Amino acid sequence: MNEYLYEKDLRPLKYHILTGPRQDWTAREMALRLGVRIQSVRSHLIERLDMSDLENMPARFEAGVAAMNGEDPVADALGRDLFVVSIGMFTPEEMEAAYARTRALVDNGMPLDEAIVEGKAALKEVLAP
Amino acid sequence: MKKTVDVAIPIGPVHPCWKEPVRIKCETKGEQVLSVEVELGYMKKGIERIMRGRPWQEVMFLAERVCGICSVVHNMVFIETMEAISEIEPTERAAFLRVIVNELDRMQSHLIANFSYCYTIEHETLAMYLLNEREHVMDMIERITGNRVNTAYMIPGGVRYDLRPEDAESLRETLALLEKNLDRYMRIFENGPMIALRSRDIGILTKEDALMAHAVGPTARASGIATDLRTTHPTYRKLDFEPVVRTEGDNYARIMVRFEELFRSIGLIRRALAMMPEGPVRGGGICKGGEIRYSGEAPRGELTYFVKADRYGRVEDIAIQTPSIMNIDACTHHMLKGVLSVADVTATFISSDPCIACNER
Repeated sequence: MNEYLYEKDLRPLKYHILTGPRQDWTAREMALRLGVRIQSVRSHLIERLDMSDLENMPARFEAGVAAMNGEDPVADALGRDLFVVSIGMFTPEEMEAAYARTRALVDNGMPLDEAIVEGKAALKEVLAP
Repeated sequence: MKKTVDVAIPIGPVHPCWKEPVRIKCETKGEQVLSVEVELGYMKKGIERIMRGRPWQEVMFLAERVCGICSVVHNMVFIETMEAISEIEPTERAAFLRVIVNELDRMQSHLIANFSYCYTIEHETLAMYLLNEREHVMDMIERITGNRVNTAYMIPGGVRYDLRPEDAESLRETLALLEKNLDRYMRIFENGPMIALRSRDIGILTKEDALMAHAVGPTARASGIATDLRTTHPTYRKLDFEPVVRTEGDNYARIMVRFEELFRSIGLIRRALAMMPEGPVRGGGICKGGEIRYSGEAPRGELTYFVKADRYGRVEDIAIQTPSIMNIDACTHHMLKGVLSVADVTATFISSDPCIACNER
């Protein structure tokens, strides 16, 4: 039986990378920040990132967390730069929609914690529609 | 992730310019590269998994087998990690000997990196000259450690063998020869008009992109980031080490940083030889348990070991973050993005000195 040599399904190899010690720790940390299951995070990362991105994910995550300056608590809580610029897990449009929703709720008087839960729910919809 | 493109060009996994198998898929528009996707998995060793549960005496041999080029620094960083866990200090003479062997390792790694680049841009004469010089360095490594590649030279508390006076003399002579020859080869590269056409303003990595991708080593230093862990290493601090930094961020800058670092390494070895005191090279010590993150400067950049060991010095958990992980990401997702000709893809990729064996571990 003939099979394509190179256009093979890369998901098992990507999963192997994601279950490496550092990658696993980082994926769990991201799941914790977003309040979602690790399986959703892994599946989303496998779909969106290539193998080099996955290998470098822990270093990018650390660099992204270090770059958080605390100027905008909503952006930091949602990981606006972290998940879009550093990791590339969400597109700018997806994150901007969640950010705008959270920001609007905060501006309308909702406590920050509750508004962030709403914003994370919007991101959760992207991860597991 | 896919874009509407003219054509997607796969390069590799087997390619005349690649030293190791990797496949990069270039999405192009005309000659311009829009984005690049990397496919790994052709040489996954699973070495971190093999290391787990083994005593440090076995892991130290496995550590230097992560990479066949910079094996000495893997040995050095793993041993220094175990020393940090166990509060063991190497003897002073051994600390200088470690620097000497580590710098020789850096020199041979930089020489093979620059050889690969010159070979890729079809300047085979210079490439072969550089490979020839690398043999002198390899001979010195063999003379001091007893082996060319997997040396297992460093052990907790010191090194295996002392440097004999005749070896020190031979090392000084070799350094003088290398300095003379490398100066000529660096000028050939620096002033070559055809080399400049293939290297200047190509594959630019901006400082911002380098920071975002956490680029390290010569790749980061060629983009204006003064990052070098040798500046914080206690023995290197005694040797007044200053990192080489350039700001162009292109292929040319990355190769020139490596050329200039060759001369820094020669200077460091000479100073280490001059400052090295007499005394024992094995201090002894027993490896203990603990958990630590420890980094050292490999030829390609920051190499980090995360080690958790039990009270007998057995490695319970380990993760290795090699510099190529960051540099390949920086190269493929930033340098190659927007490259104006597909012909520059291989040269740009090689200019970041990618090590697939390190990346896949």
